[in-house]
Amino acid sequence: MKTRSIIRTASTAALAAVLLASFAPAGARAGQTTGQVPRIQTVVIDPGHGGLEAGAKGKFGNLEKDITLAVSLKLKTLIERNMGLAVFLTRDRDVDVSNENRASIANNHKAGLFISIHANGAVQRKAAGSETFFLSVNATDEETRRLAYLENNSSELQTRIDPSSADDLMMILWDMAQTAYIKQSSRLAELVQAELDAMLGTRNRGIKQAPFKVLTGVACPAILVEAAFISNPDEEQKLASDAFQSRVAEAIYRGLVRFIRGTE
Amino acid sequence: MADKKKVVISRPALVLGGLALVLIVLAIIFFTGGTGEKVKHFLDANVPKSPESGGGEAAPKTVTLFFLADGDDLLHKETRDIAAGPTEAEEAERALAELIKGSEKGFVSPLPPQTKVRQVFIGSDGLATVDLSREVAEGFAYGSTAELAAVYAVVDTLVFNFRPVKRVVILVEGVEKETLGGHVDLTRAFLPDYSLVAR
Repeated sequence: MKTRSIIRTASTAALAAVLLASFAPAGARAGQTTGQVPRIQTVVIDPGHGGLEAGAKGKFGNLEKDITLAVSLKLKTLIERNMGLAVFLTRDRDVDVSNENRASIANNHKAGLFISIHANGAVQRKAAGSETFFLSVNATDEETRRLAYLENNSSELQTRIDPSSADDLMMILWDMAQTAYIKQSSRLAELVQAELDAMLGTRNRGIKQAPFKVLTGVACPAILVEAAFISNPDEEQKLASDAFQSRVAEAIYRGLVRFIRGTE
Repeated sequence: MADKKKVVISRPALVLGGLALVLIVLAIIFFTGGTGEKVKHFLDANVPKSPESGGGEAAPKTVTLFFLADGDDLLHKETRDIAAGPTEAEEAERALAELIKGSEKGFVSPLPPQTKVRQVFIGSDGLATVDLSREVAEGFAYGSTAELAAVYAVVDTLVFNFRPVKRVVILVEGVEKETLGGHVDLTRAFLPDYSLVAR
C-alpha cells in the first residue's frame, strides 16, 4: 500500500514535469509580472466546512460551519449590492462539499477572486485573533523550477488547460493551479487582513502561508480568512453574534474593494 | 509414463546432485572477492546504526519532541530518551508515540491522545511515510491552527531527529486522506516548517 502510494506520488510528479516541459515558453505573459489583474467579474465565496463536516467547535456549542455560512451570505449581499459583481457560493446550505469541488466551482464560474471563510480553532483555549492565509506549497528542489515556471506563465495555465478535461494529466496541473497566483493572493491577503485589523478589535495575527487543500486548485487570487477563534470562549461569543459577523463581512468586502481598485 | 518412473527411481541421486550444486555455489561465493564484498555490504546495511553515541542496543536515544504551550501558538522543544534501534523507522515510531503521549513539562500535545502510530516507513529517497490510526482525525474538531500544529509537530519531530528523513507523508489507517479536519492538504509530502517552533 505504502509503496503504491510512493510510486503514485513519484509518477505524478514525473508526469507533471513532462507535461510542463512540453509547454512552449513563448506567448503572452499574464499580468502577474506587471502586478495587474485581469478584470474581475465574478467572486466565489467559500463558507468553510458544512454538513457532517462541522469544522471546529466552541465551548458553547457553536459550530464553525454555521458561522462561516452566515458571514459568507452577508459578504455576498455586500458585494452584489455595492459592486455589481456576480457572486457564487460553494454552498448556500448546510451540506458537505469536498475541497476539490469547492475549487471546481470557482474555476467553472471563472472566478476572479476566491474567498474561503473560516473560524479558527486551537488546542489552547487562550489562542485568539484574526488572520488571513494564502497558499504555501511544499516545494521540493525539483518542484521549485516547475512552480517558478507556472508562476510566470499563469496565462498559459488559463488558456491551455480545459477545466472540463477528464485527463489525469490535466487534473494534476489543475491541482497546482493556485501556484500561479501566489503573489496576487499574498496582496489580497494583506489588504483583507488590514481591514480585519481595523474593524474587528481582535488580535492581529497577520498574514500567513499554509498548505490548505481548498486553495490548491483555485485558478485565481485566493485567500482563507480565519475571522477569530471559536475555541476561545470570548471570541466564540463574538463569532456567534450577528453584529460581529457583519463586521467580518464588511472588513473582507473593504479589502476586496481595495484589491480590485488596485489602491494602497 | 516412463519418465515419471525414472524420476522416482533417481530421487536420492537428485538430492545428492542438489547438495553438490549448493556446495559449488557456496564455493564460488567464498572465493569470488566481488561477491563476498557485496554480501558483507548487505549485512552491514542491516546492522542497526547508532549515529550519535556509538553505544550498544541498550543505550537510549535522545529525541526532541515538539509540543504546544498555553501562552503562545508556537511549538516548544522537549527532549526525551527512547529505546534505540534496531532501525530508524522503529525509533521514529517510538518518538511519535512519545509525542502523542504528551509532555513531561506541562506542554500540550498537539495530537489527540488516543492516536496510535501504526507504522513509520523511511524510504531511501528521504520520504518518511507515517501511518496513524483514525483517532488522529476523529479525536479533535480541528481548526486551522490546531491542524497545522498537529501536522507540523509530526513532520518536524521526524525531520529534526532522523537524518535520513527529508520529507514526510501522513496516512490515516493505511490510506491517503485529504485532510485531518478539512484544512491542511495531506496528499502532498511535507517539508519541515521550523517557523512554528519557539526559539
